[in-house]
Amino acid sequence: MSELDDLIDFKTGRQKRVIYSDPDIYEQELEKIFARSWLFVAHECQIKEPGDFIRTFMGEDEVLVVRQKDDSVKAFLNTCTHRGNRLCKADHGNSKTFVCNYHGWGFGTDGALNGVPLEKEAYYNKLDKGKFGLIEVAQIKNYKGLIFATFDEEAPSLEEYLGEMKWYLDVWLDAMPEGTELIGTAMKVELPVNWKLPVENVSGDGYHLGWAHAGAMSVTTSMSVGGLEVGNTGTDNDGAVSVAGLNGHTVLAALDGQSGYGFYPDPKIAVDYLQANRKTVVDRLGEFRGTKMWGSQINMTVFPNLQMLPGLNWFRIYHPKGPGKFEMWTWAMVDKEMSDDLKQMILDNVSRTFGPAGLFDNDDGDNLQAITEQSHGWRTRQMDVYTNMAIGAEHSREEMPGVISDGLVCEQNQRYVYRRWLEMMKADSWDDIPQYNSLEEARATEAK
Amino acid sequence: MIQAPDDIYLALQRQLYYEARILSAAQYDEWLAMLADNINYAMEMPQRRFKEDRTPDRAPRKTPIFDDDMAALKMRIARFNTGFVWAENPINAIRHIVSSVEVFETDDTNQFSVYSIIEVHRSRLDAERKRLTAGRQDIWQKTGSEFKLLTRTATLDDGVVLDSNINFFF
Repeated sequence: MSELDDLIDFKTGRQKRVIYSDPDIYEQELEKIFARSWLFVAHECQIKEPGDFIRTFMGEDEVLVVRQKDDSVKAFLNTCTHRGNRLCKADHGNSKTFVCNYHGWGFGTDGALNGVPLEKEAYYNKLDKGKFGLIEVAQIKNYKGLIFATFDEEAPSLEEYLGEMKWYLDVWLDAMPEGTELIGTAMKVELPVNWKLPVENVSGDGYHLGWAHAGAMSVTTSMSVGGLEVGNTGTDNDGAVSVAGLNGHTVLAALDGQSGYGFYPDPKIAVDYLQANRKTVVDRLGEFRGTKMWGSQINMTVFPNLQMLPGLNWFRIYHPKGPGKFEMWTWAMVDKEMSDDLKQMILDNVSRTFGPAGLFDNDDGDNLQAITEQSHGWRTRQMDVYTNMAIGAEHSREEMPGVISDGLVCEQNQRYVYRRWLEMMKADSWDDIPQYNSLEEARATEAK
Repeated sequence: MIQAPDDIYLALQRQLYYEARILSAAQYDEWLAMLADNINYAMEMPQRRFKEDRTPDRAPRKTPIFDDDMAALKMRIARFNTGFVWAENPINAIRHIVSSVEVFETDDTNQFSVYSIIEVHRSRLDAERKRLTAGRQDIWQKTGSEFKLLTRTATLDDGVVLDSNINFFF
């Protein structure tokens, strides 16, 4: 038993509140989780041409993701190798070089140090420029349009890291032949909240919808979403599933094939699009995913900090900024084949529901901020919080991978997110981090 | 650009002050009454780009924080009116401060282009102070003795929104 074991009890669904406030735990998270995981850095559509770049974060480390002349993608720490200044201040754009504002060192889009002012006069031509190129991430890989990177050379392949989560991701990323694109730029909001709270919320918390979002649900709902009702008076356990045990990744899914557009006031053109393309998707993904999942409201979480909701069509990453702060970046993501009108309707709806002035999103901030603050006090930080709903309801299903519980109102997924958190926090190396993608594997690898 | 006559300038300045007061007081039915039926109320997400970088955005569309017609504004206000918006209960004290008002004529003799700066102060929770600033470019339509807001394009100054909700209007 390590001290960390006391923080999380997977079996009973208990977490110590101190995990949301303690600076030492946060420092360990940066090392054990963010420095080792595969983190989303860019969608390929954001950097189409050579020299296109995006400035983003991996944990608290700032990185530049750059399209190369040979069409490959590299990611570098956004910091000058001379005196450590930030290299690029723009959010995105196209550039032939990155020149440091401090002394004028210039780097190519391939990261090589090409230009050093006064190289002859001040360095006497003895600077080995080959040793001062930008620092690259350890691994970078594209999964069906999404580019992930990791600082860990020892990390398993991206495919292995994602495991059977790929089967679910494909319901969005590979449903239509041309795949997905982000439309618009990132909507960025800073929140005084521990980064784990929005992740666990979207991973599995269907319970809060009918209550925390009662106002937003009242004015936007046009179709049933998992049987959820304003005032938290209803749920449909047969029509939806919580899926976990996928190497820490989770899925919360209605199984009706259309409720993704349930929070659009007038979803007609979206529903028409689903009908028109249903057969294509069934051909590509099979009957179950094509009819039950594609079009449904689905929350997908790629551990530790990427979430995407097909239907509501938002795509979001959380960048930690200390134990009590994070930045949330939200985009609208669509199928490339969608009509311009449908894309515009989706962009407007993403902004209107989950943007900075989003009808739903504006309900969550104060709750999650208060939980963070209620983990700081001398007494409260010793207390526990619970995700103990539907313990023992886990089962498996032939038609889909992972550990399944019924319904959207269920805390199974949060328990598995915290289980993964503990597994990574405790592990000295990837050899100690179990891989599991089914109920049997999840049980066999459960910590004693 | 041609400055509007003084009587128009004064009338529109009064209108903006009145609007600021009712927005701070969340008297949204009165606010809706001063909007044209075909209102466009918009605010874009700011971006930071290099000045010399002339390449077009790879993202094919502008990203709105608001891009609302009358129906969308009514939907936002209907949410407030449900009584289920817990973040606004107790109310958060809010002040809308309008300044740097300029009024110009347009090609349409009954429409006026109005520039202003809006500074929104919110006192939230215990000791939390939020301050958001935006530039506004409006078109106000004169009908008889009344002015109605036809378009508002607000430009937020922050690249990252520094409040966890925008349960108000600029």
